Order: sequence, then structure tokens, then C-alpha cells
Amino acid sequence: MVLILLLSGAMAFAAGEKEKVQIKLAHFYDPMGGGALKANYDWFQKLIADFEKTNPDLKIEQELFQWDQIDVKSMSDHRAGIEDHDIFLSSPQLMAQHALVGDFADLSPFVEADWSEADLKDFSWAAPWKKAVINGEMLGIPLGAHTRTLAYNREMFEEAGLNPDRPPRNLEETVRFAQKLTRDTDGDGKNDIYGLGMFYGPSRATIELFFAPIVWDQGGKLWDPQSKRASFADQAGIKSAQFARDLIHKYKVTPEASVTGTYDEVIFRDFLDGRIAMAWGWGSYWIQPLEEKGWIKGLFPPTAGGKVGVADVALTPTGPQAQFTNAWFVSIYKKSKNKDAAWKFVDTMLKPEYLWDFPDAGLPIRASLWDTPEMQTPFYKVWKEAVEKGRPMPPTAHYGELADTVAAALQEILVKDADVAETLKKAQDEYNAQYGGE
Amino acid sequence: MVHESLVGKRGLPYLFLLPAAILLLGLLISPIITGVVMSFQITDLGGTTLWSGVANYKLLIQETRFLGNVRNSIVYVLGNIILSTPLAYAAALLITSKFTQAQFFRGFYLLPWIIAPVVSTVLFRSMLDPRLGPIAKLIEWLAGREVIILADPFWALAFVVFHSFWRSFPFVMLFLAAGIATIPGEIYEAATVDGAGRWKRFIHLTLPMTSNQLGISLLIITIWTLHDAETIYAFTGGGPGYSTETLAVRLFKSSFINFDLNMGATIGVILIVLSLIFMSFYLRLTIGRGAER
Repeated sequence: MVLILLLSGAMAFAAGEKEKVQIKLAHFYDPMGGGALKANYDWFQKLIADFEKTNPDLKIEQELFQWDQIDVKSMSDHRAGIEDHDIFLSSPQLMAQHALVGDFADLSPFVEADWSEADLKDFSWAAPWKKAVINGEMLGIPLGAHTRTLAYNREMFEEAGLNPDRPPRNLEETVRFAQKLTRDTDGDGKNDIYGLGMFYGPSRATIELFFAPIVWDQGGKLWDPQSKRASFADQAGIKSAQFARDLIHKYKVTPEASVTGTYDEVIFRDFLDGRIAMAWGWGSYWIQPLEEKGWIKGLFPPTAGGKVGVADVALTPTGPQAQFTNAWFVSIYKKSKNKDAAWKFVDTMLKPEYLWDFPDAGLPIRASLWDTPEMQTPFYKVWKEAVEKGRPMPPTAHYGELADTVAAALQEILVKDADVAETLKKAQDEYNAQYGGE
Repeated sequence: MVHESLVGKRGLPYLFLLPAAILLLGLLISPIITGVVMSFQITDLGGTTLWSGVANYKLLIQETRFLGNVRNSIVYVLGNIILSTPLAYAAALLITSKFTQAQFFRGFYLLPWIIAPVVSTVLFRSMLDPRLGPIAKLIEWLAGREVIILADPFWALAFVVFHSFWRSFPFVMLFLAAGIATIPGEIYEAATVDGAGRWKRFIHLTLPMTSNQLGISLLIITIWTLHDAETIYAFTGGGPGYSTETLAVRLFKSSFINFDLNMGATIGVILIVLSLIFMSFYLRLTIGRGAER
């Protein structure tokens, strides 16, 4: 009798469990990785616990992939006809590729049904949102904003006779300031401090943070959405590459080593080590290290009384003041059988109270979160403007190849003293021969 | 017997070989065939695959970048072999000699081999760091000016080759040491009695009697070097420009960073052809020598 009771109880429990709709959430925050990965993982655990509490009929199951493989996983599984996914974190740079593959569902119907006009405005002010909609379909929603500014050392400004409250506003001023800031401190004939840190290594950071903003300043574009062909070898591109060369070889305000190493080494490490006075492309993900170094106070995490110290930031000194701005997106898998339930979770995830604490958000994506007292410091006002003015990378499905091609061409120009126009043209032709017209 | 009536006496051995043949075809040959087929196709991002004939090959051959990739691959392999072989022989002779410290060197020489490739790459890069790296500082002292090694196309490739040689010479050394250990000591004694010096003993005894080991180890090193993408990618990312980008690095970038699997497959087929050329050369060398003996 007892056995029958136990069995029926277990069956009833199993039946209850079965009734729960399971939603698969794919992300890349492996708690075993520690540090930031663990912090983001913990954020998800809290969100999931809260969500499951208020939605007892739904259960979130997590899937872990590498951050640089998660988009490919979604695309390849979609192509393979696999239905067993629901939610993916995704990269905006690959959204054009996702649009072609068709692995993400259009979120517009959900947004239109559940969001007010105010909610929509809360997101749509920022640059990353622009990457969300492709061919009229909303393939993802940004979870935050990663943007870049010009970080500069206020003490070095003062030592060079420059006003630290008046950073450069255009490229001419940037060069002039950089010349004043470049110094040989020990008199051995070699520069110990360079005025301007730029990075031209074999990495996507080269095109995104150090070439594109100059091209935009010159009124050009890297890729033409009409013809779907690369256009970086036009006059704007030539002037931008020439500018890079002049910084290193003519003005000598940027270290020659900028073509080697990594973005972190050449910009982040060199700025914190005092080897560069101005760091172009300073990421919002590097606010915390400034606080840890004691160069800013009370700004990470943001507080109302936060103040800059040795370090300060300014908008990118170009005409459009635009820097590459991106974020992690959240998307719903097109073949998901539980799209409504998945949206319910996504909608919860995007609530201001959760997004405010999301460690990997970078800067807030919701405009309302910028209205809090702790975000009213001049420091964060610069970051807000940077997010607003930020630009995405071109919506080409072959973005990786475009980035590699531009970085390699720039390196040839900088290290081999190759002809600027000819080198860019050759690189552009080779790219277009393969990918032009998509 | 039923079996004998079905396959006959002559067919029975083939029947026994069948499972191995199926495994071989299934696991080794079929991916190669798939790769070759993919190299003649173009797959758009929507997943539609079209037959493109030799279009991928044509595109590659017309590129200056590709020609640079082939050149870099050959320089990478030959540079590695040219540097490895003499040093590996010297080290192999040392560790097989009666020298009292031979035991220590046996372990010491293996160090480059046991360090993970990416770790050794990071170590090399730090040594080449223009600000603090000891190699960079030494070169600066010799040249009398700052030399940014990894920003110079020639020196970047030279150090990529040097790193590869540093890692692979212990492997060649081990093979050669095994070969040297099998040569009877009496032969050396007889040669010494006949008045042969160290150099003559090496040229006329050691070298021909270890040619098989040399051929096989060089073949393995060649294939590994030719297919090595991880160390170069971690070292220079193929830069500056494309000056250290080999076919394997290009394949890695095309297939796993930019997801262009058809182009990756095309480069893969070219790599297989290059590997076969090297393989036939080494086999000819070792079989030829074997026949001579």
C-alpha cells in the first residue's frame, strides 16, 4: 500500500514537472572562468530564480557556448534543422549574417504587443539599437552599450601647458596636442611618452576603433550598402590611412609598435603605465581599471559624488564624434517551439531593474537608467553622448573578411611604406572580387 | 564450407581486410573527399550550395595575398628544417655519447617540445616586446636604434620560423638519437682504427645509417609545420600585413573566424597537395637510400 502511494506520488510529481515548459537559454558566461564570467553567470542565476518564481510553469535551462562561437552555433544548428534552442545571446556585428541565414525570429510583433511607446523610446535612442533591425525585422535587442572615448592624462596635459578641461575637438587639435605631449623624459634621444595611443595591429579593433572613426570624419564609409561592395579605398579611406601613417612617421606622436601586440597592450596597458598621454578608443569596459588605479574616484560603480582625477575622458575628436558602439544582444531562435515563453523571459531580462545590474551591459542601454543621480556626473555625461553618437560597423555578411583586409592593408602601409592609394585599392579589389555584391 | 563457397579461398584475406578498409575509407578518405567536393562549391550564408567549378581556385590564384601565403608556407617549412637538422644531429650525438652530463641534456633539450605551443608563443612575444623584451633590447643595442621586430615583415617571419625550429628540433633529435643508438659501436671503432676522424665518421657512418630516421622525422615535422596555424596566429596573427600569414593560418581564418568553409576547403586541398609533394620527396629520399644499402 505504501509502495503504491509512493509510486503514485512520484508519478504525480513527474507529471507536474512535465507540464513545465522548458526554455533553453544559450550564453557564454561559464562560472568556471571566474571573474567577470562568474559575475555575469551569477546575474543570470538571480534573474532565472526570480523568473521561475513568478512563472512556475516555465523552467529555464542554460546552454553554455564560447562567446566567439555562440553565433555560429545558432546559425549552423538552424541550417542543420535543429529545433532545440530558444534564446541566444548574439553579436550585432554578425546580425547581417544572421539575417541571411534566417536563424533568429523577428521580435517586432512581441515588442509591438507588449511594449509602450516609452519603452521603445527608452531603447531606440542609442546606437546599438540601429543594428537590431535588418530588412524590417528586429533580430535582437541590445542588453547594454559598449562604446569608446578618448581617455587622457590630466597631469600630463598640465605638464605640457595644456588645459586639462579642454581636450582636443578635432583631428588637427589632436595632432597639435599630441606633439606637445610627446616627450623624451630621460634625454636619451628616444620618446618615453607618446602623445597619442593608436592601435593598428592584426585585429578587428583596428578597423572598428582606429580607422572607421577617421573615415567617418572624412565623410566616407567602409562598405557601400547599395552596391554591397567595399569602399574603403576612396578619398576618405586614403586620407584616413595617410593620417595613420603621419601620426607614426611624420608627427612621431604615436609609437611605431602600434602595429604589433594587442589592443589591450597598446592602448590599455600603455595608458595606465603612463607611456601614452591620450588613448584613442578607450572602452567603457575599462572604467573599472581607472577606478582601481585611483585615477578616478567614485565612478565605478557610479556614485553621485564621483570625480575624475589623473584620468579623464572626452568624445572622439572627429567631426561626427562617433566611435564604434556595440553591445551583446538577446535574440530568439527562429525554430524555437516556445517563442512566447522565450519572449516572456527576454522581456523580464530587459526590465530596468535587471539591466542596471547586468555586469556585461557596459553602459546602460535604457535611457531611463541614465537619469539616475549617479549617472549625472560630467564623466558619465561624456559616455552617454558617446553612446548616442556611436556608430555600428557596416551590415555586411562578410564583416570579418572586411576587417581583416583593412587591417592588413593598413599594416602594409605603415610598416612597408607602401603607396597608400595603391595598397588600399589592391586590398579593396581583392575583397570585392570575392565578396562584392555579397 | 559456406564461407569458402561464397568468397573462395583467394577472396578470404580480402574479406578479413574489409573492416579495416571500411574504417579507413570512412574515417580518413571520406573527409578528404568531402573537402575536395566543398572546394568546388560556393555556399551562401542562407545555406544554399552551388557548384562553382574551379572558381575558388581561380580567385585564390589571382590574389597577391595567396601567393604570399604559399611563399610563407614554404619559407616556414624549409627554414624550420634547415635550422633543425644540424642542431638536432649535434644534440642527438651529445645525448647518445658517453659524456657524463648526457642525462641532463636529454631532459634539457626536450623542454621546448613539452611547453604548449601557445605558451611558448606568448613567451617569445614577451621577449620581443620593444619596451622590455630581452631580445628586443639586445637587437637595439646591436643596431644602435630601436627595432620593433614584429612590425618588420622580414624579422617577424624570421622569428616565427625561429620559434618553430626551437620547438621542433627536440623531436628530430629524439628520432635521430634512436637511430644513432642502433648503430653498433664496433663499426665506429673499426672506422677509428682505419683513421677516420669525427667528421668522416659522421658523414660516412652516422648520416647514412640514420637517413631513415631523418627522413621520417623530417616528414612529420614538415607536415606539422605546414599545417601549423595556432602558433603563428598567436604570435603575429599573420601580420604585419600578410607577411607571416601561411596557408594554414589563412585556412584557419577563412574557416573558423570568417566561416567561409568553401574557401577554407580550397586552401585545405592546396595544403594536401603541398603535403603530398613533400611526402613523395622524403619517401623517395628514404626508399632510395634504403635501396642503395
